[in-house]
This record gives sequence, structure tokens and C-alpha cells, in this order.
Amino acid sequence: MIAEIGLFALVLALFVAAVQATIPLMGAQRGDTAWMSLDRPAAFAQFCLVAISFGCLIWLHVTSDFSVLNVVQNSHTDKPLLYKITGVWGNHEGSMMLWTFILVLYGMAVSVFGRDLPPGLRARALAVQGMVGFGFILFILLTSNPFVRVDPAPINGEGLNPLLQDPGLAFHPPFLYLGYVGFSMAFSFAIAALIEGRVDAAWARWVRPWTLVAWCALTLGVAMGSWWSYYTLGWGGYWAWDPVENASLMPWLAGTALLHSSIVAEKRDTLKSWTIFLAIVTFSLSLLGTFLVRSGVLTSVHSFANDPRRGLFILLLLGIVTGGSLILYAVRAPALKGGGLFAPISREGGLLFNNVVLSAAAGTVFLGTLYPLFMDALKLGKVSVGPPYFNIMMVPLMVPMILLMAIGPLLSWKRGALKEALSRLVFAGAATVLTIVVTILIAGPSSRSDWAALAIGLAIWLFAGSLIEWAGRVHLFRRSLAQSFHRALHLPRSAYGMTIGHVGVAFVLIGVAGSLAWRSEYLQVMHPGDTAAIAGYQVKFLGVEDNVRGPNYTASRANFIATKNGRLIADLRPERRQYQNPQQSLSTVAIYTNLVSDLYAVLGDPAANGGSVVHIFHNPLVPWIFFGAIVMVFGGVVSLTDRHHRIGAPLRRLGARIPNAALRPAAPVPAAAPRPSRRLMYLVPLAGFFVLLGFFIWRLYLVEEGFAPNLIPSVMVNHPAPGFDLPALLDGQSGISTAGLRGKVTLVDFFASWCIPCREEHPALPLVTQAGVRLVGISYKDRPEDAKAWLAQFGNPYAAVGVDLYGRTGIDFGVYGVPESYLIDKQGVIRRKWTGPLTPDVIRTELIPLAEKLER
Amino acid sequence: MKQRTPILMAIAGAALLSALWSGPALAMQPDEMLSNPKLEARARAIGKELRCLVCQNESIDDSDADLAHDLRVLVRQRLVAGDNDEQVKQYIVARYGDYVLLKPPFDSETYLLWFGPLILLVGAGTAAAFYFRRAALGGGVPPLSEEEARRLDALLGDGGPRRKED
Repeated sequence: MIAEIGLFALVLALFVAAVQATIPLMGAQRGDTAWMSLDRPAAFAQFCLVAISFGCLIWLHVTSDFSVLNVVQNSHTDKPLLYKITGVWGNHEGSMMLWTFILVLYGMAVSVFGRDLPPGLRARALAVQGMVGFGFILFILLTSNPFVRVDPAPINGEGLNPLLQDPGLAFHPPFLYLGYVGFSMAFSFAIAALIEGRVDAAWARWVRPWTLVAWCALTLGVAMGSWWSYYTLGWGGYWAWDPVENASLMPWLAGTALLHSSIVAEKRDTLKSWTIFLAIVTFSLSLLGTFLVRSGVLTSVHSFANDPRRGLFILLLLGIVTGGSLILYAVRAPALKGGGLFAPISREGGLLFNNVVLSAAAGTVFLGTLYPLFMDALKLGKVSVGPPYFNIMMVPLMVPMILLMAIGPLLSWKRGALKEALSRLVFAGAATVLTIVVTILIAGPSSRSDWAALAIGLAIWLFAGSLIEWAGRVHLFRRSLAQSFHRALHLPRSAYGMTIGHVGVAFVLIGVAGSLAWRSEYLQVMHPGDTAAIAGYQVKFLGVEDNVRGPNYTASRANFIATKNGRLIADLRPERRQYQNPQQSLSTVAIYTNLVSDLYAVLGDPAANGGSVVHIFHNPLVPWIFFGAIVMVFGGVVSLTDRHHRIGAPLRRLGARIPNAALRPAAPVPAAAPRPSRRLMYLVPLAGFFVLLGFFIWRLYLVEEGFAPNLIPSVMVNHPAPGFDLPALLDGQSGISTAGLRGKVTLVDFFASWCIPCREEHPALPLVTQAGVRLVGISYKDRPEDAKAWLAQFGNPYAAVGVDLYGRTGIDFGVYGVPESYLIDKQGVIRRKWTGPLTPDVIRTELIPLAEKLER
Repeated sequence: MKQRTPILMAIAGAALLSALWSGPALAMQPDEMLSNPKLEARARAIGKELRCLVCQNESIDDSDADLAHDLRVLVRQRLVAGDNDEQVKQYIVARYGDYVLLKPPFDSETYLLWFGPLILLVGAGTAAAFYFRRAALGGGVPPLSEEEARRLDALLGDGGPRRKED
């Protein structure tokens, strides 16, 4: 019954969304206030309905209602209550519900706080919000319904991946989504403004706090994800440039740019069409991330189960949302002109520079993430773009930006004086040089330390520059301390927000630099009583306690005591857990932090001779990364409390301060139409987007056609077979060698008894020999007795079988997963490779015809 | 196939393909390591630049897949045999192709990848420069519209006769 109520509420929400998307918009276009005023009740109703639906889903999970498929697949009665609740969004369907819930939450916020908004703007914005909501609810109902029943209901569920049974799941996705979806506010208002044909300071004043809210949430969400990965995965790292991580970084970079350009739009009534463009791009990148992760077009550890149908739907949504907005943008934006002018060297100029760099950075992440897909789809070969690429590219982009982050705030609006700003930064420059020298002296010269010293120097430059800017504002040392204190109390909160936010960036930078340069690790088999020395710590291993019982797992818990100079520092107790439902093992990490560095211990497998494999990291300055992120978010929150930004600050009261230009009646179409060349410029993003869209459709089509993105073409084809000489597996048969391949077309088949797909392939192999092709086998990384038993059981179609005990010949052939087979011609040249099991069909239609051709 | 990489945003933080995952484990094993710390450090650095073929985006240094283990051992054997870092990487590339390089090679197929960021930066910079040029040309005073010009003429026209009267 609860499931049906949830589904029914969701269907109702779809209808309400349809009403919200159309009636207020039509009302606004016709000037009909009655129709327009439907926006707020509709948003309210939509919120209530989705909340009921989401509540029902949570209820089903909490009560372990196993007649519902989603609960069966993701829950288990043994699971602690917290993970029953958080497990709701630990899967595709539930996470889409969370996404939609947050979307309608924002819509509700507009209707609550937006009472004083110009009714036309609000009606249009809420209508856009309604369209997005309609799309997502329809998506859930058509492809991802979480309320599907199963009959008969199983006794218990399949449980949740143990990695997700972590408090991180309670916070990371909700904050991430608050960020992603939060940008829908800026987006909806941007579209509303484009429809209305007017962007004024009231608009910017409304958009800015919402962008700030979304930015804070996304920053926190990304940082939490990074932290989660750091403390659970046992790899000692926090960022891997995985495509899914990049999918969250792109909207963050664009959103940060938006945050800064909206300042210019608000304060100076300029850069408006650019701000609108960024609002569209930021939300589109959020949608793109959703698409990439859920469609199966790219490979990532984080991917949801691949489902091209869902992918197609999200792509369609992306096409309508982004394509539609960019069309509207191309039509309307050229008319959005004017606003205050400014010189290149000015506060606005600095913010514009920030936007240039952040856009390029977002574009770089985009390029690096999607390049392998482009190459692949255009049949240009396979490339991997990994961490080295991103590290190389990001550094030169970030360095000038951080250099300028200290200078920009010192420039005045409209026209700044660079010399004067730099002269105020002399102290910061001196502190930077001093830091670099001292860091190198302490850390000792090495290329890594030198780089880290430069980065830390840069962070100090930013830190000192931010303090100088603040000191200048409060006239520190130029007036009496009492006066400065008085000024400090009365500085606008948004000024503090900026200072704190920038200081947070400095912290993050120090953390990243330190952890990259000075991380040390210890990896050994340890026996009870052994002591590991790492970074000045003595870590003594006391032993492993087995059968430690947790709520739904049993664990082996290692016990370490860390001392420094004979003083007890910490107990470290990493565990290796065995979960029952689902049957999975998981290592937990033990971390001791002194807020400057972390001691990080992971327990590996038991070693053969009774000890345990132990991995200990010393991660200097990593806590500063997360601390810095929190400081950044704190800056954002402080800025939000500024009277100007207080959401719902009555705009009528603010009206007095809004420049007159902003209060002009709607649609101030400029007298002179923009030059056609300029109009064309606005079509560029649209064209780019459609190329991208077409590409994604092509890619989805390939996935649908069974094109496996993981298949790696062999570079060995058309090259001579590598040299090898393997001993025979079976008595009475000869071994095989490169020389023995000559003279006859041969299929070399790599197999192993432990390989499940090999069993699938095996019955088809006699077809090869029947066609007159010589078939030899290579037993790949298998114990000879196992391989013999396997052949005895399933039959031996091979003319000869060689033993590749350590897989070295496999590597020489480029084998990456058995079964793999290579067709080699009479001259000993590899002509074709098949990865995965050969099927009778492939043998008849591909292998035999090719072999016959080669034999001739 | 065991994997280990940051969760980072699992976009729903969640929903990792559970079949593929079995959580953190130790990729590197102590018995793989070389006794010579300099060689071992080089091996680690090379390992971070080579992609594990059977995993989703991990280096062989980060992966606990079987093949990753074999490749780590191979890298160390090549180093002991006296190869330099580039030769070791080429040894693997000769068997598995450029795909194994996490830092793609610089060739005609990757020009766009390597120059892309620069193009983006220059493009965005040019757009900004155009903005300033336009602002400078406009000089902050938009030309008068026909209507405005007519009104100005009218106003000046009003003043004119009076001056004549003087």
C-alpha cells in the first residue's frame, strides 16, 4: 500500500509539474496575473507530493518491505537503521528520487522566499523549474521506478555494498545534489530573464545568494566525497581524476566562475549575458555528469549499472534543457547589452580573468574526461587520459589564477591601479620568498620539495594578500586600533566571506602540495612484536584479533601502537571485515591525525608465514585539504548572512538602491540591432552542443549494438608472434614454440581452468580443428595439474598445449583476460585477435574464412 | 576483478557496481618490492603512469588485479635488467598499445588533447579582449539614436533663436 501511495503521489507530482511548467509561463506572457499566481501554489503542491513519495520510499526501506524490488536489491534486515535510510539513495532509482526531491525543495524555496520578486520573473522561473521537474519525474516513472513490486516477496534482501555502509553516504550525495540541483536556480532565473528579455540588478541580486548556496553545498559535497574516499579506501589518496570525480569537478569549476561573474552582474550591472551563459553551462554540466555516470558511455569505478535506455532518456533531457536554453540564448542574448564599463585592470577585470581561467579549467577537465570517448567513437584508437595529464594541465592554469587572487581584490572597481595594488603586496611577496626559502631549507632540496615549496609560497602569497586586503579595509595601523576594530565589526559580511573563502583556497593548496611532495609509506609483512619506522614514528604491531563481531559483519582487527621519541601517540586499529549480505570483504582504515599530518594504517591479507601484510602511510598536510574546504564553505556561509544576500530580503526595500537602469520597463530592445557577426558568435555554443549531443547519441547507439567500451584492440595484429618456447603440459605431446608455428595457419588459444568464460568457449573449439586449422593451447597462469584435470574433464581439442606458468608469454602476446585467441599465418605473423570466448558463430563466419584465405 | 579507487562522488556517492567492487585491498604486496630503494621508487613512479587493462581507470600501482601484479613484477624485472624508465614503458606499450599510458603520447591523434587547454585559454582570453576593445571603441557614450538626435536638434534649435535675439 505504501509503495502504491508513493507511486501515486509521484504521478500526481508529474501532473502538477506539467501545470507549473505551462500556466504561469503563459500567464506571464499574456500579462494575466491570475494565471501567473498559480506558480507558488503549484511549487508548494509539487514539493508536498514528491516529499510524500520520497517519504514512502524511505519508509519502505526502513521497514524492510521486501515486496518492493528496490528494497530487495539494496537492503537487508541486518543492516543498521542509519544505512537502511541512507541506502535509499545508495542506488540509481533512489538517488534520482533524492535528486528530484532536492529540485522541488528549491522550487518550494522560491515560493516561500520569493514573495517580493517581480511576479513575471518568479512565474517564469518557477515554470522553468517545473519543466525540469517534469523531465526528471517522467524519467523516474518511465525508466527508474523505485516502487516496482516483486511477487513472491523474498524472505530477505540482497543487502547494500559494504563500502556504502558508511556515514559518508548520509552526507556526501545529499550535499552533492544540493549543489548540482542548486544550480538549477541560477539556471531557471537565467532562462526566465531571457524569456523576459531583461536582466537587471534585481535579477542578479536574487541569483547570487542561490548560486552561493549551491556552490557551498557542492564544495562540501565534493570535499566529503574526497574525504570519504580517503578514509575508507585504504589507498592513502583523495583524488584520482576518475571520470566520475571529474563529472563533479566540472560543475564546480563552472559554478565558481558563475559565483564570481554574478558579483559583477550584481554590483556593476555588466557581464550579464556572460553570467547567463555560465548559469546555463553550470547546470548543463550537472546534467551531463548525471548522464555520464548513468548511461554506460564511459567506464568508471563509480558507474551505475549500465543502461543505455536510461542514458538515452537523460540525453534527451539534456538535449531539451541545454539545447533549448542555448537556442533561447542565441536569440535573446545579443540584445542584452549595456551596463557599466570597466578597464582591463580593475576589480571587474580581475573577476573576468578568474572566469577566463576557470572556464578554461572546466573545459580542460571536460576535454580530458571525454577525449578517450571521442577517439574511440571516431575509430582513431584507444587512449587513456589519466592523472598525469590533468596534473600537467591544471598547474599552469591555477598558478596565474592564484597569483591574481591576491591582487584582484585590491583593485578598485571600474579602473584600478596595478602599481598601487602591487606596492601593497610587498609584504606578501616577502613572506612568499621567505616561505619558499625556509621550506626548501627544512625539507632539503629535491625536485618534489622544490615544487611543493613553490606551491606553499603561492599559498602564502594568497593568504597574506587576503589579510592585507582585509587590513586595508579596516585601516589597520593607519587609524587607532579602536577605530580599526569598529570598522572590522561593520565590514559587510560578503567582504569577510571573500577573505575567508580565499584563505580556504590557500589551505587546500598547502595540503595538496604537502601531500604530493612528502608522503611516505611503509609496506611490509609484519609479525606481532615487529616495529615499523615511518616519518619519525615507531609503529609497533601487537597482533590481530580475529572474530570481532560487528552488527552485520565479522572482522579481524589489527592492533598497532604508534610512539614518537618513546611517547605514546596513538592506538591504531584497522580492520578487515567480512560482510555476510552481500558476501564481501572490506578493509577499514585507521587514521591518527594531529591536524598537520595523518598516520594511516591498513591491514592487508595474512601472509603465508603467519604474519600480516601491513600498509602504513604518513600523509603530511592532508587534513589541511579538508579543513581548507570547510573554510571555503564557511566563507560562503558568512557571505550568505550578508544583509544584501539574505534570501528573501525584501526587494522592494532594496529597490531604492537598485540603479535606475534596472527599473526601466521590460524589453528595452536596443535601437540598433547587433551586427550579424556578433549574432553568429552566440551560435557557437549551440553548434558545439549539438555536435556533442550527436556524438553521444552515436556512442549510445554503439553501446546498444553491443560495442564493448572495454575492448582493447591488440597492437600485436600484423606483427610477428612474440618469441616463446613453452614446455608441454601433457605427457606424450610436444611443447610449443614460435618456430613451431611456421608453415601452417594456427590458432593460439589462451585458457585456464579458473576461467569461467573458457568453459563457455571450450565446446566450440573442435569446430576449429575440423576446419583444418591447427589449434594449440597455452595454459595461462594455471597449475599444471588443474589444467590437466580440466582437459581430462572437458576434452582436449588442442594439438599441443604449452604451460605459461607465470603469464609472461601471455603478456608478450598482449593478453589481458582469458580466453583470448590469436590467428597466426604461415609466416608466423599474428593476423587477428579475439578477446573473450569464441562462439560457434564467430568461428564459422570470421575465423574459418580468414584461416582459409591465409592458408592459400 | 577487485578494484580500488576513490569513491569520490559515486554521483550518488553510491551505486557502485557492487559486483566489480570488493573494497579496498592492498594493491602492492611486500614481496613485489625491490630491495634497491632507488629502483623501487622508479618502479612506483612508472607504475603510476601505466594503466591497469582490466580495471576501470586505475594505474597498475593502484590495482590489485592479477594482471596488474604481473605487470608490476615485469616493470621491476626490466628495471633490474637495466632499462631506463622510457624503455620500460615502451616495453609494455609494444605489447598493449598506447592505451596503457595514463599520460597519452603526443602525436597527431592527441594534438587536440594537448593543445586544447591552450586553445580554450586563448579563446576565452580573446573573447575578453574583444570585450574591452568594444568597450574602448564605444567609449562609454553610445551613439545617439535618431530620436535622440532629433530631440537634441530641437532643444538646440530652441536656444538658437534666443541667442540671435541678443
